[in-house]
Amino acid sequence: MSKVSKGVLGMANYDTVIGLEIHVALLTDSKFLCSCSTAFGAPPNSQCCPVCLGLPGSLPTINEKAVECATKAGLALNCQINLFSKFDRKNYFYPDLPKAYQITQDAYPLCSRGFLDYYVDDQLVRTEITRIHMEEEAGKLIHSGSSIVSSDYSLVDYNRAGIALIEIVTAPDIHHPGQARLFVEQLRLLLSYIGVSDTKMEEGSLRVDANISLKPKDSDLLGTKVEIKNLNSFRALEKALEYEVSRQGEILDQGGTIRQESRTWDDRAGRTMSMRSKGDAPDYRLFPEPDLPPLCLEPAWVESIRASIPELPLERLGRLEEQFGLSRYEATFFVHYPDFCQIFFDLAEYDLSPKAIVNFLMGDYARLARERGHLDARRIAGLLTIVKEGLIGANQEGVVLDALFSSEKSAREIVKEQGLEALRDSTELQGVVDGVLTANPDLVARFRSGESKLLGYFVGQVMRATRGKADPEVVNKLLEEALS
Amino acid sequence: MIDRHDVMRMARLARLELSEEEIDQYQEDLMRFLRSGQKLQQVDVAEVEGTSHAVHVAHELRPDQVGTSLRQEAVLSLGPRVEQGFFRVPRIVEGQE
Amino acid sequence: MKELIQSLDVREVSAQEIVQHHLEEIAQHDPGIHAFITVDQEGALRQADDADRRRAQGQALSPFDGIPIAVKDNISTKGLRTTCGSRMLEDYVPLFDATVISRLRRAGLVLVGKTNLDEFAMGSSTEYSAFGVTHNPHDHSRVPGGSSGGSAAAVAAGEVPWSLGTDTGGSIRQPASFCGVVGLKPTYGWVSRYGVVALAPSLDQVGPMAKRVEDAAALFALIAGNDPRDATSAKAPSFQVPAWDPEVLRDLRVGVPEEFFSAGLDSQVEHAVRGCLRQLEDQGAVLQPLSLATNAYAIDTYLTLVTAEASSCLARYDGVRYGKRVEAEDSNTMFAKSRSAGFGSEVKRRIMLGTYVLSANHYEAYYEQAQKVRTLIKEDVLDALSQVDVIITPTTPTAAFQIGAKRDPLEMYLSDLFTAMANLSGIPALSVPCGLNSHGLPMGIQIMGGNFSEALLFQVGYMIEQGVEGSARHGQL
Repeated sequence: MSKVSKGVLGMANYDTVIGLEIHVALLTDSKFLCSCSTAFGAPPNSQCCPVCLGLPGSLPTINEKAVECATKAGLALNCQINLFSKFDRKNYFYPDLPKAYQITQDAYPLCSRGFLDYYVDDQLVRTEITRIHMEEEAGKLIHSGSSIVSSDYSLVDYNRAGIALIEIVTAPDIHHPGQARLFVEQLRLLLSYIGVSDTKMEEGSLRVDANISLKPKDSDLLGTKVEIKNLNSFRALEKALEYEVSRQGEILDQGGTIRQESRTWDDRAGRTMSMRSKGDAPDYRLFPEPDLPPLCLEPAWVESIRASIPELPLERLGRLEEQFGLSRYEATFFVHYPDFCQIFFDLAEYDLSPKAIVNFLMGDYARLARERGHLDARRIAGLLTIVKEGLIGANQEGVVLDALFSSEKSAREIVKEQGLEALRDSTELQGVVDGVLTANPDLVARFRSGESKLLGYFVGQVMRATRGKADPEVVNKLLEEALS
Repeated sequence: MIDRHDVMRMARLARLELSEEEIDQYQEDLMRFLRSGQKLQQVDVAEVEGTSHAVHVAHELRPDQVGTSLRQEAVLSLGPRVEQGFFRVPRIVEGQE
Repeated sequence: MKELIQSLDVREVSAQEIVQHHLEEIAQHDPGIHAFITVDQEGALRQADDADRRRAQGQALSPFDGIPIAVKDNISTKGLRTTCGSRMLEDYVPLFDATVISRLRRAGLVLVGKTNLDEFAMGSSTEYSAFGVTHNPHDHSRVPGGSSGGSAAAVAAGEVPWSLGTDTGGSIRQPASFCGVVGLKPTYGWVSRYGVVALAPSLDQVGPMAKRVEDAAALFALIAGNDPRDATSAKAPSFQVPAWDPEVLRDLRVGVPEEFFSAGLDSQVEHAVRGCLRQLEDQGAVLQPLSLATNAYAIDTYLTLVTAEASSCLARYDGVRYGKRVEAEDSNTMFAKSRSAGFGSEVKRRIMLGTYVLSANHYEAYYEQAQKVRTLIKEDVLDALSQVDVIITPTTPTAAFQIGAKRDPLEMYLSDLFTAMANLSGIPALSVPCGLNSHGLPMGIQIMGGNFSEALLFQVGYMIEQGVEGSARHGQL
């Protein structure tokens, strides 16, 4: 703990510069370069073929859907789509890399120069996207011990090898760990909106590498950057970056220099660790992939992809705020839960106030819907309408809602069957009010001598006597008359 | 000029374990090869685009349809060392090129 | 071949008998020649039996149903080991057929075995095979050429009527020339590379080898065509065997590049090639001297590109999924030990060169430079071909050399001096025997043309073949 606080002290002297590389597995049925299935969870090495095993003589062929998804992501991130792009080989040895090279795009990526806007503390900020390129996924390693270093051997499963990925590279213009997290959250939401990835971080469908450096405040000189690899959760991303800020700050405070290196995040130990202990920077010997011709896209095709992009999270947020008058908090809820948002839009078609719809959807309904699935918007509208009409009191709403979840009946039918209509008939209620007052002469006397808060008690008693059905407004009125 | 250090670095990159004699031999071969290739360096290639494909073909993309994979037993039958459906490799040491 | 097919058609002989005959030829000649790494006697006889049954039911798959063939051992054959002439793949049995193999099977051809080659097709003499040297059938003390030396020797020795080779810088044409057979390096992309173990993917092509031009053309028609599994496969139509009409030579513009007739060219080879050219002229062709000055850079460009691509293509042999493995404490050491034990010295040499030219500090000066020079070479060739219909040169500067004569790798690389240009520019090139030298060794003439001009190359080759004396054509075996 002392370490962190020292780092935080040091932090005051430096600006943090963060750039991210996000690997996203694309939502295709077959792999990027061969027709093997991408389904998650199959027995090891059962979704492999000569191509994704790198058997001698096998050749790659590009999946059209992968190009489509990558293009869509590029367009949604405001990128320029390069009609001419190329594939390259990135050469390195690793047991999970079947050909000992990864097919990727180096010099001529599919997308370049885009951006993503998102909110940080109510302020709209922009992070530049330098490029997005396509590449293939590696296989999966299972270590015999608890970590790679403590394992005598590892097991390799190539089912994942060859799945289509995009790598999204940002400019180094993120300024603190929390912002990095917000950026990735917004990016993930956007990718799920456009349906190009399932973005499941726990299954590795979205992974983040972060480059981070510190530079003295007001200095133009960039610091030495450290790469943190494979951050597999939002928490890991934020914690690892926070750790690096304090680690690097502490080194710099003591007059030390930062080593340019790759580090990995150890979640249990809560710290980053150096990955490369010796040797110099890797030499990937990138060169044009001779097995794949350049990719030439038609402008009309790109436009057809553009036309298929739905409303994106930020636009939706704006629309919910401006068109429906929702608060930032409410709008954010609906942006993050597109299923709730859809129901909101459906309900907005009825003659109901947005406020009433929001209060309803974000209230008990949210909990029930998560447990039991959504109700049909038409049935919800029925409930909200009878509430609005005053057919039932607010207290009965929950009862009807429960019944909506457990039956197929409409709200009106439920109210009728269970006799839940609100009591607002004055003559009928007058009797109840009189009964309550007669039964409590002492309290009536105290009220009349100034204990006005006792009114609430009388109301409660009337409600109790009517099993909550009495219209509070009418009850209030009758009580006030009787007590005056 | 290529020294033994360069040769050893290339061997590490290419995952080759070379004997002392081989290092000497390949050092000499590399030097001769590069000397002979000197005349390529003299060719004026300003404004010339490199050729990475002999004949230009339009890229035909593959429809996203799942095809047949190999059976797991067949895949593993090739493996020099397999275990429980996986290929087995010895300890992975990070930190080498 | 024509006779063979006819006698099969009229059921004079059975496929069984033909295959049996060739297996006997192999048994008799191959101990001295060693063209084969693997002979699949049992499989061949079973396939022949199937062919006979089909023919008996009138359901022959093609006119060639039941005809035997041998295939270079870097072409994947399902269930039949494919070694690439390397210890690395000594026990490797592919799980799939190369597309060219599927095409042969669809035509009913009988695969009798896999032929010897320089390890991973790196070489020009078949001396660099881990399975021993192949001998030239015309003179056992000499090399058959390479890297498709086994495929050339098997045809020359009559062990099989035809075969498939692969050609990256001359690996079909040079051994064809040395062994006195016909060999074609097709237009890049006309034959699928799927299942063909890569040496340098931007240069590799599979091609036919046969005793006669007609047979080479027929075999080419079986293997050529688009393959969706190979993204570099051309969208060309299938190849039609042309009519053999002498009229093709009338006013045919034949380019003769002076650079291919300069110092270093054996005088007997020059004499033979010039003789053929005169003959074509007599038959109506017009000879046009021209210059292909960029050929001076062809070998160095070729070597830079081929070693670079090979260093990457051969990285997959790491002992994890298939192939040789030498156990070690950690993965990196296991990779290095396996690769060092599995690869021969020429393969290691080329991997070292290729790694060097691709490495960060040298990429621009070597690899990128070579790619640009390649563009100049290609432009030079295409420019020449805009002025003439075909370009004719010797296939090789000399006839077959003695086994062990070329110990210096750089000297060996010069074997591709006349052939690498076609691979660099993608164009097709055919080698046809053009006579025997004073030692009775075959010599070859090379005909190059524009992309997809194979029909014309075969027609011209046919006329040359007709002109060359029968004894020279077949060699004196």
